[in-house]
Amino acid sequence: MELVERYTPRARWFHWLIAVVFIELVLSGLLIFLPWLTVGMVGTWIRIIHRIGAVILIAAPLMMTLFSWRRSWEFTREAFIWGKEDLEWLKAAPGYYFGGDPRLMPPQGYINTGMKMYRLAIILGGAVFIITGFIMWFLKGIVPPVVFQWSLAAHDVAFIVAIGMFLLHFQLGVFHPRMDESILSMVDGKVSGVYAKSHHGKWYDEVKNAKEDSEPAPS
Amino acid sequence: MSDKAILFDATRCIACRGCQVSCKQWNETDEVIPTEENGVRSSNRGTYENPPDVSPQTWLTVKFIEKAEGDDVRWLFGRRSCMHCTEAACVEVCPSGALYHHEYGFVAYDKEKCTGCGYCSQYCPFNIPRLDAGRLTGVGKMDKCTLCTTPGLDRLSAGHEPACVKTCPTNALVFGDRDELLSRGRDKVDSLRAANPARPSATLYGENELGGLHVLYVLEDLPEAYGLPGEPEFPATVTLQKQVLNPLARIVWPLVAGGLALNALIAWARHRTQREAE
Repeated sequence: MELVERYTPRARWFHWLIAVVFIELVLSGLLIFLPWLTVGMVGTWIRIIHRIGAVILIAAPLMMTLFSWRRSWEFTREAFIWGKEDLEWLKAAPGYYFGGDPRLMPPQGYINTGMKMYRLAIILGGAVFIITGFIMWFLKGIVPPVVFQWSLAAHDVAFIVAIGMFLLHFQLGVFHPRMDESILSMVDGKVSGVYAKSHHGKWYDEVKNAKEDSEPAPS
Repeated sequence: MSDKAILFDATRCIACRGCQVSCKQWNETDEVIPTEENGVRSSNRGTYENPPDVSPQTWLTVKFIEKAEGDDVRWLFGRRSCMHCTEAACVEVCPSGALYHHEYGFVAYDKEKCTGCGYCSQYCPFNIPRLDAGRLTGVGKMDKCTLCTTPGLDRLSAGHEPACVKTCPTNALVFGDRDELLSRGRDKVDSLRAANPARPSATLYGENELGGLHVLYVLEDLPEAYGLPGEPEFPATVTLQKQVLNPLARIVWPLVAGGLALNALIAWARHRTQREAE
């Protein structure tokens, strides 16, 4: 069976590191956000592990940018390139994701419009988390209290959105029948040719053409 | 149980700072006094106030306010400490339950439970809670007036009044049932106004502020003259977080999860019929 490489080992390690740290941050954040959940459980250690998680979650993408700067630049750039194809995706998406005829979905590139929106949300939400988190960590008592208060409120809003996005990501990756190779591709890095063709038709063609020039597949 | 309170009558205060000292003595909150050869290191800040602010070691300070009136100077003596609000923002935002309302209505504190987050210090309308937490680790504990109910040093349950009240030589500080102290305060303010019609600004502070404070002030001037907020406000951000964002999260997350589960079920069902058709 034909296999196409979709994620390099580095990308996969990165993904799972982020996944573990993200869940750690969500759980420790949840204990602070919903105190009634955990009466008596909240201790100073929760704030410490939340900070450790925050450092890793910021350091990991920075390292990634350092070691794979070209790919990181592409990763960011792709999210900002929008065209009329994205409108077509938006029109076709409801039918497609509710199990309608997959042929109605136009061929997609390496990432589709949904993934673009996801990346935009990560970039924007990440900025909110990092800036407000920095204020609450290092500038408490230095900035006026009202700045601290609104930082916490913004951190909460980003938190509510982030958990919603995580649930979406988890459902698509693990439970959605149409994305049946998604989770495995993040484990072994490969998708079948059939899957690549049906889900990322334009990317599949690019890979094919590149292979003919005997170049490695984009990762 | 009926609410208890402290009544501070500023017109009786002689600023001896006995309350400050007895607070430290009883609650064992010694200040570290910086020393130098043959003495202590000190500086002139242009005021008799000392120390300049409340701190983890100083839960109560006496304020010295000089007010110029023509060629004269009038002294106003104030008391700076926890005001023990009924609508207490610190209690609302405390994630660990360390701050809570005592059965007498004031804001008690269980230091064991404090995680050092310092939210209380950022939401207090009177800027009272203080903590010395490491900037990097955030490890530390908050401190503020507990109205002498610190476990092991609990004067109230032993039937005593708070240390500051006990030591006050002029009865500027009185402890008792809040209702009783309110009527006493009102009477005092009425007589102040009657005695000096030219200065009708005498105020009873704390009757209705923030749902009613458990430290009531008889002031011979407007609250602002004593550095108190005229209309202390419950922070809108607390309402936003506790009444809007928190309940919103509890609705949005299950809705999203439920919607996604439904979507997966529908997609699975249609997927299967498509496969059978093929």
